Amino acid sequence: MYRHFFSKKYKRYLSLTLFGFLWVFQFTSCVDDVDFEQVHLIELNPVYEVDFVYARFDTDVFHQSSSVFVPELIVNDTLDYDLLGIDFATKHLVRVELTFEFENTIQRDFEFHFGFLNVEGERIGPTYHMIADKGNGGGTSPVKTTRQIVMNNVTIDEVETATKLVSSLRLKNVSGTLKGIFELRSKGSYFINYQL
Amino acid sequence: MNFSLFLCNILPRRKEKGKSPAFRNFVKLSSKEVIGKKVTSTALILILCYSVMYSQNKEMLYDFTDIPQSLLLNPGADTNFNYHIGIPLLSHVNLNIGIKGASLFDVFSEDEDNINDKIAHTLNKLTNNDYLTITQQLEVFNFGWKANKRNDIYFSGGIYQEFDAIGYFPKDFAVLAYQGNQDYVNEIFRFSKLRGNAELMMVYHFGLTKKVNKKLILGLRAKLYSSMFHVRSNKNKGFFTTLEVSDANNIYQHIISNADITIKTSGYASLKEIYENEEDDGDKIDESINSLVGKSLLGGNLGFGIDLGGTFKVNNRTNITASLNDLGLVFYNKDIETYQIRGNYVFEGFDTPIQFSGQAPQNFLDELEEATSIDENSDPYIVMRPLKLNSSIRYSFNRYKNDNCDCFIKGKQLPFMDSFGAQVFMQFRPKRPQFAGSLFYLKRFFPFLRTKLTYTIDEYSYYNVGFVISADINKINFYISANNLLDYNNIVKARNISMQLGFNVIM
Repeated sequence: MYRHFFSKKYKRYLSLTLFGFLWVFQFTSCVDDVDFEQVHLIELNPVYEVDFVYARFDTDVFHQSSSVFVPELIVNDTLDYDLLGIDFATKHLVRVELTFEFENTIQRDFEFHFGFLNVEGERIGPTYHMIADKGNGGGTSPVKTTRQIVMNNVTIDEVETATKLVSSLRLKNVSGTLKGIFELRSKGSYFINYQL
Repeated sequence: MNFSLFLCNILPRRKEKGKSPAFRNFVKLSSKEVIGKKVTSTALILILCYSVMYSQNKEMLYDFTDIPQSLLLNPGADTNFNYHIGIPLLSHVNLNIGIKGASLFDVFSEDEDNINDKIAHTLNKLTNNDYLTITQQLEVFNFGWKANKRNDIYFSGGIYQEFDAIGYFPKDFAVLAYQGNQDYVNEIFRFSKLRGNAELMMVYHFGLTKKVNKKLILGLRAKLYSSMFHVRSNKNKGFFTTLEVSDANNIYQHIISNADITIKTSGYASLKEIYENEEDDGDKIDESINSLVGKSLLGGNLGFGIDLGGTFKVNNRTNITASLNDLGLVFYNKDIETYQIRGNYVFEGFDTPIQFSGQAPQNFLDELEEATSIDENSDPYIVMRPLKLNSSIRYSFNRYKNDNCDCFIKGKQLPFMDSFGAQVFMQFRPKRPQFAGSLFYLKRFFPFLRTKLTYTIDEYSYYNVGFVISADINKINFYISANNLLDYNNIVKARNISMQLGFNVIM
């Protein structure tokens, strides 16, 4: 019987059968209960919060003389800001929330404007306007004003070609008697939708 | 387009833009080559697929002395060949892929849950200690013979190609990419979590196994490494954070602190040059292959190493073995390109209108570039090979007693039909060593057919069952092994897949 077991023919058949079994076992192993088509449903929705602009206006620094009177003080500024025109933003930026926090002890309202310019320097998209409430005078607790601007994907599309951001601060009836500090702090929340 | 470029542009800047070519190239490289959509998809899937891999542990083949490849795991293995020759390119094929922390099933299971919820859950479950490893080996050829005059020495040698990679899951930055920083204000994202190593090399080896006496067998193997491609990032420092501050200029401070990130590459610069200079895709591939082949034939960065091992026969039934593999160094001095990013930077937004402060206009990109410069150099470096340790104890019984068969070499003691024992494995990796422990049972069903069943435990899995079968048909030996057999009914649940197979001619 053992001689039969060790015959070349038997060895070959037995070995091949066992190897065949293991080979098939390895290479036909099952992949069950999974759906790789779900990969098309994967989407990333990160939200990035990044500082935006800030300003500090102290009357002690600004005043030259108590007799000075300026009916309207306007300070303009321009920043490079081509975020909304880059491919990634065009395709995947779905919402931008700009939050502005004003703290004011100066007894005047501050008007803050900003908008967008294209590469030719022309205004595009909406212009935003907000007012920081007046304060109660130097040395008092600051009056806080919070404003939020929401740019949805329609607005983002409108300012797609923006390359610059223009801003201005307006203050009326500036006199040498005004005392206090005006502060602006702001951030942008950028909502991304990235589908694989 | 990509997140890095997006983040650079998300920040408003003064009219003057950063013009540095290096930084622009970096951003361009990031946008077009590193995090392109396909790459992002692949990377994300890889991140999702992170689970356990047992590195280069070959628990099925260790101390399986019926095949010549056991000498590669222990040059002092107790083999009994007169000579052997591996079938070129088929004598040893090894593939080992593993992920620690999750499996494909965790993300792609077919159920009612939204895949994005499953990704978020998996992301939450994974840690910075989880990793992905891939090891692939292909033996070009393998040979061995018993010394004519001194039968107690067996020489063996050969050449094999190896690809070995490990990437630790960078959870901090995966979270930053997947969820953003809004919910992670005041949290620290550490650059030290960016760790990985990948290498493609050819290994030339020659060794001898000497039976010192009836109880002791010792072996030594010398190795010459010819590296074709290597990339490594390790021991990075520093962090990025978004701090919410009440007494600063703005709502947040975005801080890069003590950043010190180094990526060392060798073999990359020449491939990059080929892809930049050649226009035809076919030429790019041909040139790349020629470059790699040249480096595999001792034209690359060279290194030296040894394997040591031994078998101690406590008595005629009990063996103790131990081996140490790849104690060596690779000296990288050709085709090197090392990138270093170092510095500190704090961003608080933009002071506006600038007239109030009286300071010069701010330029974010210039400031960032100056503060966190990217340096390139081609300084030589040395890297230790991933050292591996194996040890086992084996008890044998049920000696073969069939007098009717001349299946074994006359004059030699007949072998045992059954053995069992335990073995341990350790491999040094960039972050910390990996361990595994196995119980095994060796069964010789017939003189020409041997099997080994293993049960392996490591820090990630408690139910890894492996199996190897080896048979001799005339002088041709064939073996095949696989682990994690219990997961083969649904392989996507497996966190580790390992298989080896090969053909040898053995006398």
